[in-house]
Amino acid sequence: MKAAAGCAAALALPLLLPSRHLATFVLLTLAAAVTVGVSLLMGYAGQVSLGQASFYAIGAYAAGLLAVHGTPPLLGLLLAPVLAAAAAALIGFPLLRLRGHHLAFATLAVQLILLSLLAQASWAGGAIGLQGIPRFSIGGYSLTDDLGYAYLALLVLGIALLVSRNVVSSRAGRGLRAAATSEIAAAASGVPVGGYRLAVFALSAAFAGLAGGVYAFFLGYLAPGSFPVLLSIEYVVMAVVGGLGTIAGPVVGAVLIVVLVQVLNTLGTQPGMPDYAPSVLSYAVYALVLVVCVLYLPKGVVPSVSAALHARRR
Amino acid sequence: MTDVIEVTGLTVRYAGATALDGVDLRVGAGEMVALVGANGAGKSTLVKALSGLLRPAGGTVVVRGRLAQVPEGREMFGDLTVDDNLRLGGWRNGRHGRDTGPVYELFPELAVLRRRRAGSLSGGQQQMVAIGRALMSRPEVLLIDELSLGLAPMVVAMLVAHLRDLHASRGLAVLLIEQNARLALELCERAYVLESGRIAVHGRSADLARDPRVTAAYLGGHVAAP
Amino acid sequence: MSDLVGYVVTGLGIGAGFALVASGLVAIYRVTRVVNFAQGAFAVLAAMFTGTLLTAGLPHGVAELGGVLLGAAAGLIVGVIAIGRPGTSPGTSLIVTLGLGVLAYAIEVLIWGDQPRSYPGVPGVAEVAGARLQAHYLLILAVTGPVFAGLSWFFLRTDLGKALSACASNRYAAQIVGIDVRRMGLIAFGLGGALGGLAGVLTTPVQQVTFDSDVALIVNGFAAAVLGGLTRPVVALAGGLLLGVAQTLVAGYGGGAYQVEVALVLMLTVMIVQSARTPIAVAA
Repeated sequence: MKAAAGCAAALALPLLLPSRHLATFVLLTLAAAVTVGVSLLMGYAGQVSLGQASFYAIGAYAAGLLAVHGTPPLLGLLLAPVLAAAAAALIGFPLLRLRGHHLAFATLAVQLILLSLLAQASWAGGAIGLQGIPRFSIGGYSLTDDLGYAYLALLVLGIALLVSRNVVSSRAGRGLRAAATSEIAAAASGVPVGGYRLAVFALSAAFAGLAGGVYAFFLGYLAPGSFPVLLSIEYVVMAVVGGLGTIAGPVVGAVLIVVLVQVLNTLGTQPGMPDYAPSVLSYAVYALVLVVCVLYLPKGVVPSVSAALHARRR
Repeated sequence: MTDVIEVTGLTVRYAGATALDGVDLRVGAGEMVALVGANGAGKSTLVKALSGLLRPAGGTVVVRGRLAQVPEGREMFGDLTVDDNLRLGGWRNGRHGRDTGPVYELFPELAVLRRRRAGSLSGGQQQMVAIGRALMSRPEVLLIDELSLGLAPMVVAMLVAHLRDLHASRGLAVLLIEQNARLALELCERAYVLESGRIAVHGRSADLARDPRVTAAYLGGHVAAP
Repeated sequence: MSDLVGYVVTGLGIGAGFALVASGLVAIYRVTRVVNFAQGAFAVLAAMFTGTLLTAGLPHGVAELGGVLLGAAAGLIVGVIAIGRPGTSPGTSLIVTLGLGVLAYAIEVLIWGDQPRSYPGVPGVAEVAGARLQAHYLLILAVTGPVFAGLSWFFLRTDLGKALSACASNRYAAQIVGIDVRRMGLIAFGLGGALGGLAGVLTTPVQQVTFDSDVALIVNGFAAAVLGGLTRPVVALAGGLLLGVAQTLVAGYGGGAYQVEVALVLMLTVMIVQSARTPIAVAA
């Protein structure tokens, strides 16, 4: 019921929004899709990734480069998650031996390496960036307006949510939850913890890669500077704020944060405000929301609100 | 005679489960008292409550004077020297509480080891450091959690001799928490038996040693009378 | 030959900055088991504040001291928020310090703007074994050496230092003997802040600082610290110097590219090798 209502609202929203907000809607929806993967990683596999934007970048660059070299956009978009997942599997194989803060720093390091390599890679546009990515098209039909990308982004988010829900309720999902409580006990009872962990890591990268592919066609331009470390931190903020290990959490977290930043952005760009106001306000929002949430609402918004509702009904 | 430890109706719960249920226990000034119980009876919960490390759900804990703890497993500062371990024991007394001389007089064995890393010592030596560290705070009562655990009988006998000395020469009160009931009843005047969070029996050690309930459960099932 | 000497001395100077950041991380981690992500922010804040004090006309030395003190104050504030609430797990504290690092961006951009800043250090060029390099690098080394000597004296010889080491060695035992473990954690955060601040203050004359310079500092600092398992300041010093030299050598002979990758790949390799040696790593 609730899911159906949510779907209907999400599908109606792009039509109701003023068109100047559609670009924000697209980016928000893509961020939510990436956050679904981050939430899966953190909530079920107990891994903090501070480099999730790397897979977003890999997906975006894969789709962008393929399209620039004449590959049909649909094929590029389909390959984006595959390549991102393959990269994650390759990186994850050695890295996922690490835990806790070691893994957090390792994923951060991977992103910094990727950004540095991209900035030096002339075949990918170097530090200036990759330009002239065509618009997304299937057959002869080309997607040119923001509304079309809004629905494409929603499709991506829908796929991420659906896959994530099925993984969570699967045998592997139960095994991972057991491993998050006690890795040794789970391994002893025959759960292939390492394999599942790698699979979730690759899957979360696939979500990010798919979203990154849409991003490339939507903007038509990519640069290393579009994927700062801060972007990875934003995904973590959204996942934590919404509530780890819940299906709705990533979406709620992304919506809350983006709307909050957007409101403050509007405030910050009022006449008379200094030109640094928008960035100061958005840094402050990410920081304060994350700190307050972790300390006072450690389960995140969605579980806390639903717990409060249940308590009231009794 | 005033009591140095006075526990009344102490109840502690962990996430709904009751760990201690209405425990009454007293230790008089200069008295040696044993608390005997099996694993999971609630002994370590009582230790934490006495050290003020947890909040009871009910009842009161009164400690008159300073209580120093000799923790289970000895809990050395393993990377630090014996001397540093002892000096840190006097932390509560500030700058003037760091004179380790009296402890080395009491345990001459430790004086030789003063520059050694505490983590490299044998179990018995570590237990001496733990007792010495506790004494450094100049306590009125010593709370010893599992004196004999993991130690050879010879070593235990030597530690017991030291404790008797301390008790006799300084009038130090001791609450000894022990799994080895035979040892505890031998060393202490009075004893309490803790079973699933309640005091099952208490009284003079000599009487308890003849109590069939105690002998059956804690002294190897040797029942004296039908 | 003189190129090599130049690269090595320059690398040692840069590495000293990493080592100071690393020792701050270690000081905090030992006592609290929290990896402090805001460690790089202390350096940035201290450097920017020093620049302001110098512009205001304060003499060198006083301005730098002001920067280090601000770093210490920032460390204390981060500590209060990150470990002040009883029952905060180290993992939670890590996320909190991450958030506070981002908050520092807001403060820095608000006060100092988003452009790179610097201020003059020791002027002129020095000659070491035929190599010509900025004289300021020698000052960095001349300060870092005594600071590390002072740190080891502090931890090994003073009562407060021993109490901090005691918390690092055995938290429970520290509580038993009456050491206020939380207060020691806050002191460690303050010390970490001062060390991070010193790193920023010392290196800014030779390397401009921007509000987001903290990422490079924290990653290099962590890489240096992780060599010693995050608990050994002396190994962190060696690690920092090694990283600095490796980076300038790669930059010098490799034409400026790939020096970032060297440090990061080194860090990843060290961590993976370490984790392979301890097969069942406990989740932190």
